[in-house]
Amino acid sequence: MIRLGAEPSKMREIELDDVFLSRLQLLIVMAKAYLSGYPLGRHRIKSILENANHIKLEAVGLEEDLEWFKDDASFSDNLGFDNAFYQRVKLLSVMAEAIAKGHVLESHKKEALEKNLNAVCESITFNKQVSDMQFLKVA
Amino acid sequence: MKIAVVDADPIVRDFVVGTLMYSVNREVLPFKDGLDAWIYFEDYGVPDIIVADVNLEELTGTELLGKVKGLNQGTIVILYSDLPEKEAMVREAGADAFLAKPFGVNELFTLVQRFVVEGQSSN
Repeated sequence: MIRLGAEPSKMREIELDDVFLSRLQLLIVMAKAYLSGYPLGRHRIKSILENANHIKLEAVGLEEDLEWFKDDASFSDNLGFDNAFYQRVKLLSVMAEAIAKGHVLESHKKEALEKNLNAVCESITFNKQVSDMQFLKVA
Repeated sequence: MKIAVVDADPIVRDFVVGTLMYSVNREVLPFKDGLDAWIYFEDYGVPDIIVADVNLEELTGTELLGKVKGLNQGTIVILYSDLPEKEAMVREAGADAFLAKPFGVNELFTLVQRFVVEGQSSN
């Protein structure tokens, strides 16, 4: 039996924040795979659309939270909210949705997507390389 | 290749289904409890891979594992839990993998690599 995941002392339930972060990481992988030319298939398209929609809704909710707390600097500092980060996340979800809907991204848009991806990856210190995932080559 | 995910929590279940569906580009069947899953498997056949929470109503993840392996020893069964004490029970029951919560995309990608890609190349 193989074992993966948290160490025994760190095991706990999966919280909403965990799912948001994991879905964001998945969206990053999806966008990187597109930029690397990996094939899309019917189920991959469905999965991208669902994931992008989920992230977009969550990012809007977080942005509304930020708006609520914007006049209380100490509160928002403690929460660690960063408006630019959520704007980037929202933009990433819109870009991923466009990819899944079959819109062809011209080179300047691909460049913008890559810059946005790098900024989001830096914020969440996520450096997964799609070249590590050979199974993405087969759709 | 048929894959099923069994979890009562729709937030975790949808995340696992979406990640696996993207990885393998195949439909992934979602079930909210072990009994629902088992009834479906009896009617339509046991999937190649089952990913399930240990803590399920009616039929727990380990009970589902026993029934599935009894019918088809070759089915890959991956169980997950947030309780460390469940790991030994899962191992003893004959699971192929144990996922300790919280887990994320990296762990699910590793499972796909191990059981889908390497599994197919070894067949």
